[in-house]
Amino acid sequence: MNSARRIVAIVGALVAVLLQAAIAPAMEIGPALPNFILAFVLACAVTRPEGGLALPFALGLAFDLMGNGPVGGMAFVCTALSFACMRLSVVLDNDTLFMPIVLIVAGSLLGNLVYGILVLACGAGIGIGEALVGCALPCAAYDAVLALVMFPVLLRLMRLGDAQMRVH
Amino acid sequence: MALNFQDMHDPRIMRVVLAVLIVASLAMVTVYAREGEGGVLHQVQSGAHAVFAPLGLVGSSAGAAVEDAGQAVSDAGASEETLSALRQRNAELTELLTQSEEYRLEAERLQGLLDLKDAYQIEGVTGRVIGRSTDAWNQTITIDVGSSAGVETGLTVVGPSGVIGQVIGVQGGSATVRLLTDPKSGAAALVQSSRAEGIVRGSLSGQLTLQNIDAAVELKTGDVVLTSGLGGSYVKGLLIGTIVRIEGQPGDGSRTIYVSPNETPQALEEVTVVFDAKSEQATEGQDE
Repeated sequence: MNSARRIVAIVGALVAVLLQAAIAPAMEIGPALPNFILAFVLACAVTRPEGGLALPFALGLAFDLMGNGPVGGMAFVCTALSFACMRLSVVLDNDTLFMPIVLIVAGSLLGNLVYGILVLACGAGIGIGEALVGCALPCAAYDAVLALVMFPVLLRLMRLGDAQMRVH
Repeated sequence: MALNFQDMHDPRIMRVVLAVLIVASLAMVTVYAREGEGGVLHQVQSGAHAVFAPLGLVGSSAGAAVEDAGQAVSDAGASEETLSALRQRNAELTELLTQSEEYRLEAERLQGLLDLKDAYQIEGVTGRVIGRSTDAWNQTITIDVGSSAGVETGLTVVGPSGVIGQVIGVQGGSATVRLLTDPKSGAAALVQSSRAEGIVRGSLSGQLTLQNIDAAVELKTGDVVLTSGLGGSYVKGLLIGTIVRIEGQPGDGSRTIYVSPNETPQALEEVTVVFDAKSEQATEGQDE
């Protein structure tokens, strides 16, 4: 158990929630709004595969509560994706950047598609084509870029945390 | 069961935690989908909006502060000895000018709301927009008036030039408004010139379409669309927008009629929640 890594994850999670509440509404590009929370969950899952699931669940729930989508929807997506990414990171790890990047991009796409389906299932009043092509795909691209930016930052911070732990 | 933030190395514990959290989240989704707007989860979500919405204001203030800081950094490159006094004076004047321009724009917007209130004899309460939707799937705003000011779920909300949405959640000092452009929105509408009735619906792209219009009715671009008041969800006679494009011909049951909304959601800063309006007079007034 590495408490420095855990602190980095918790502080990062708080920053992601603040960014989502404060900055995200002003960062609209076409039909896409950024999801800092999903991006952070993905980046954290590939950098910290030994982490738990309570943090992604709590982050997803925070997203659900601050938005108007179905409560529990993003919590489900974040929890399931986090688990899948952590397991795959361990199983497929080949010490290259390729696997984390693939996991982040695929996770962002899958996460937005599944969330879109949940929104539709809760009666969004839109067609599946419009929902997936008009919203889920642009959002997935946006979130993947954010997660790919967060990934090296988190990796660096966690390595710094590891180094600090060794010194002490 | 490890439901804290501790790392979990044991795959069995991890799977159990995963199962519990998945079941909990899906249970919440099911309850949310089945309960009404007054349900527990909707209430909790509405309460959370009141907490998170002010952060949006902090965000926009932070954006302005970053701009100011950038300006200060670029000014720092000039010669301090010769220009400091002038620069200071210039900064003061710029600040005054910016402030007065901000007041002028605010006065203009509030005048628009007052004019609308007079024209429609609206009885209501005016509030500021303090938050916007944080996800791409919903188009909502949070305003700083709530149940303490008499706001209730279902009330119509107007901007400076017409209806913009409906209250869907209320707290003591804030309320959540679903915009007309939201895909879940639907307002009973009528075309002013032909009196044809239909429903105006939003979409993910923010485009409004007029649906369920009689196929035989002739429509043209520029026709004004008003709320019809049918169903009682929106006050009758308020301006929704104008028809900007019609795909298909009269007699074609599948024609698509696009309506341009009056307000750009991003530009909304003050809105009025309508308690009552003499809407029939307003409709007649516009007919003339």
